Amino acid sequence: VPPLPITNTIRKLRFEHGEMTQQDLAERVGVTRQTINAIELGKYSPSLEVAFRISAVFGARLEEVFSYEGAVGSGRPKSP
Amino acid sequence: MSFREKCAWISFVLTLLLVAGVALGGHLGTAGLHYFLTLLIGFVLLQVVLRVIIARQAPKEARTPKDEREQLIDLKAARIGFYSLVAGVLLAMFAVHLHGNPWSGLHTMVFAVLIAWAIKLGAEIVYYRRGR
Repeated sequence: VPPLPITNTIRKLRFEHGEMTQQDLAERVGVTRQTINAIELGKYSPSLEVAFRISAVFGARLEEVFSYEGAVGSGRPKSP
Repeated sequence: MSFREKCAWISFVLTLLLVAGVALGGHLGTAGLHYFLTLLIGFVLLQVVLRVIIARQAPKEARTPKDEREQLIDLKAARIGFYSLVAGVLLAMFAVHLHGNPWSGLHTMVFAVLIAWAIKLGAEIVYYRRGR
């Protein structure tokens, strides 16, 4: 499975917010714990809505939580 | 393992058992139909019982509706299952054409549905394992 071009700082932010568990975050965002785990590990790119909800839980801007590492302007990202 | 992945495993294993049961039962005829219906009822009852057992282990998770990742997995797996079903139905049409026996077409069709369902569940399990 090629890695996704989107990285995130969710794990770091969870620990900075009182060692919040994946389950706590999942409940506040409205997804399953497995989905939070998949996002954290970079296995799944969330929808824009879920990305905003995650950022809102941490009181952070979207770009503080997620960043795009892929090529820009070349259409779909190429798998390595 | 999540509640939905466990459900997929249960359905997958039971569907494979149903396929084996249908294969061992020979061709569907009037008598074979009763055998198939008995298998089908057993399949549904076992599914219900096993799902109730795992839902009791994780009641909160069982009540939660599917989130976007699970819905996506469901859709991707259903697409794979659909192509398998189409291939199976075409095969069933061939079977009727070759044997001139509608029962053999029905038999192949039942197999096509069950195998397509097993493929859909198998794909779901693979996607759950991969995370997407």
